[in-house]
Amino acid sequence: MNHFLKNTVLAMALGAATLTAGAHAETIKVGFNVPLTGFAAADGNSALVGAQLAVEQVNSGGGINGDTLELVVYDDQASPKEAAPLAVKLTTQDQVIAGISGSYSGSTRAAATIFQENNTPYISAYAVHPDITRAGNYVFRTSFMGEVQGRAGAKLIGEMMARKRVSLITLSNDFGKSLATGFKEQAGNFGIEIINEYEYSIKDREFGPIVSKVKAENPDAIYASGYFFTAGPLVRQLRAAGITAPIIGQEGYDGQKFIEIAGPDAEGVVITTSLDRDSTDPLATAFIEGFSAKAGYPADMVGASSHTAVLVLAEALKKAGATDKAAIRDAIAATTLDAATGTISFNGLGEVRKDVQVQVVKDGAWHHYAVISDPALLAPPEQ
Amino acid sequence: MLYLDLSIQGLVQGSIYALIALGLTLIYGLLRILHVAHAALFTLGGYIGVVVTNHTGNFLLGFISAILIVGLIGIAVYRFAYKPLLDKPPLISLIASIGMFIAAEEIYRLVFGAYGISFSAPPLQTQVEVLPGIFLSHARLLVVAIAVVFMSVLGWLSASTRTGIAWRATVADPEMARSFGINLEHVRYINFFIGSALAAAAGVMVALLNNLVEPTMGAVPSYKGLAIIVLGGLGSVRGTLIASLSLGVIESFGTIYLGHLLDRDAIAFAFLIVVLMFRPQGLLART
Repeated sequence: MNHFLKNTVLAMALGAATLTAGAHAETIKVGFNVPLTGFAAADGNSALVGAQLAVEQVNSGGGINGDTLELVVYDDQASPKEAAPLAVKLTTQDQVIAGISGSYSGSTRAAATIFQENNTPYISAYAVHPDITRAGNYVFRTSFMGEVQGRAGAKLIGEMMARKRVSLITLSNDFGKSLATGFKEQAGNFGIEIINEYEYSIKDREFGPIVSKVKAENPDAIYASGYFFTAGPLVRQLRAAGITAPIIGQEGYDGQKFIEIAGPDAEGVVITTSLDRDSTDPLATAFIEGFSAKAGYPADMVGASSHTAVLVLAEALKKAGATDKAAIRDAIAATTLDAATGTISFNGLGEVRKDVQVQVVKDGAWHHYAVISDPALLAPPEQ
Repeated sequence: MLYLDLSIQGLVQGSIYALIALGLTLIYGLLRILHVAHAALFTLGGYIGVVVTNHTGNFLLGFISAILIVGLIGIAVYRFAYKPLLDKPPLISLIASIGMFIAAEEIYRLVFGAYGISFSAPPLQTQVEVLPGIFLSHARLLVVAIAVVFMSVLGWLSASTRTGIAWRATVADPEMARSFGINLEHVRYINFFIGSALAAAAGVMVALLNNLVEPTMGAVPSYKGLAIIVLGGLGSVRGTLIASLSLGVIESFGTIYLGHLLDRDAIAFAFLIVVLMFRPQGLLART
């Protein structure tokens, strides 16, 4: 009402009584916490570019019913102790209508609780920890939980690639552990025998001992969780030791940087992820082209997931308007949206339901390998 | 066979630790400074090695540039950061060192980008059968060779040259050394040059093994280096060497047999605690 009065007074003062709504576009502020410095700054940059691209696309396509979307961006360094005060600032001082996390699990969990307490919708773009959506009914996630992707990995190796003796190399953080949980839960159902599981820390880049042991075991396939900065050196070292078994990774590998680090050894590495590079879907191709033009490097999963998260929120704002947070929450929960990462909808917990894209490295680039479309296998937890 | 393989992997890793920790222990021995920013020079060595190699196509040139440039920067660190603080309590220079380390990480990120950089054509990747059934890349062999050569040269320098004798005299008793006409500043500059150059060599070697140099590459060495020099007996060169190699081997076996319980760093620090329980002065006390 206040805005309306102000607008009216302003309009009369200007002597332009017939202004259209577009000429008096409001700005809708959306919070965006993202690691722009520190160890996760590389992913943070992709997340920011993906989100900004989505905002540009929304605004150039008429905005939110004529109003423009604006990101309020803060650097959380992927650290919970940074993210918590930033979330307070976003919800109270900046008065954002909703928030999006372009960050990792630790910081996203910390912020999710605060957004929930303030009854402000919050979407995690790519953080994987199960507790994020358990913060409450205002919190959603547009990427796969680790468990879901781990189950897809088991199907991929045991059924689609028909490899049975598998060595697990697990990154010992929430991402790697939840992937391993999902993988082990389904391994038996796809006839997989897990020979051994090794754990490494996110700080490790030197895998000599694990490589020696895996070589001695001679597995049919290696299921290795990690991010490009651990997986690149790992794949290189596995191949350098003469291990030829297929290496299967996940969305943490997703990006051109992995291929750059692993070099020719990256060829043939298969991952489960959210973005199909060879998609003919116009939404995906528009994203892939738009991202690389804006970022200066090829599109990756983090950028795609952040892009999708913004579009999900924009769609909900179009339906519910930008004033009533409860209505926006309901609109997000009811989302069915085609985005670059597939058709997005949410379950009762706010977890995304979509297909898993399987990509393979061929001639120095990610390409289509398969799609896993199995709603029962990929069903995220409801609790 | 597996045990032998794991031991060799451990020695490779231990050689890298030795190259990093030696500079730390030299600097601690001479000035009683815990030089945390040493790890930033290790990272810089990696960056220079990769950048020069990628631009010239010559790995040897990249390696030598890294050693020389980082050695000189090591001198600058002493001259402009530590020297003005020498008469202050050791805590002050430690804080300055931590500050430099954090600043350096962010500078690398701004200059070289957050994603890290890689060799466009990684050199020395071919495999050699060193023992029946045990294959090592040339890069891994080079790591051990460089550690052995550099340590031997250093041992010879300190034992048989005037500079080495001046260095040892300064470590033992700076006042006495000065009264015998030894230029303390000169000794300190050489000390920082050699220590930093060794760290740079380690940085290039790590870049070669992982094909990745990141802004945060020095994060683990920054504290593990300190643990190693404590383990070796603060300031003892031989102790540091033994501590580095044994830590490498223990981590190698630990990763396989204790990896589910403890990560690599936890294994290293558990080892440190156990040793210090029985030998509080470290493996070899300073002589």
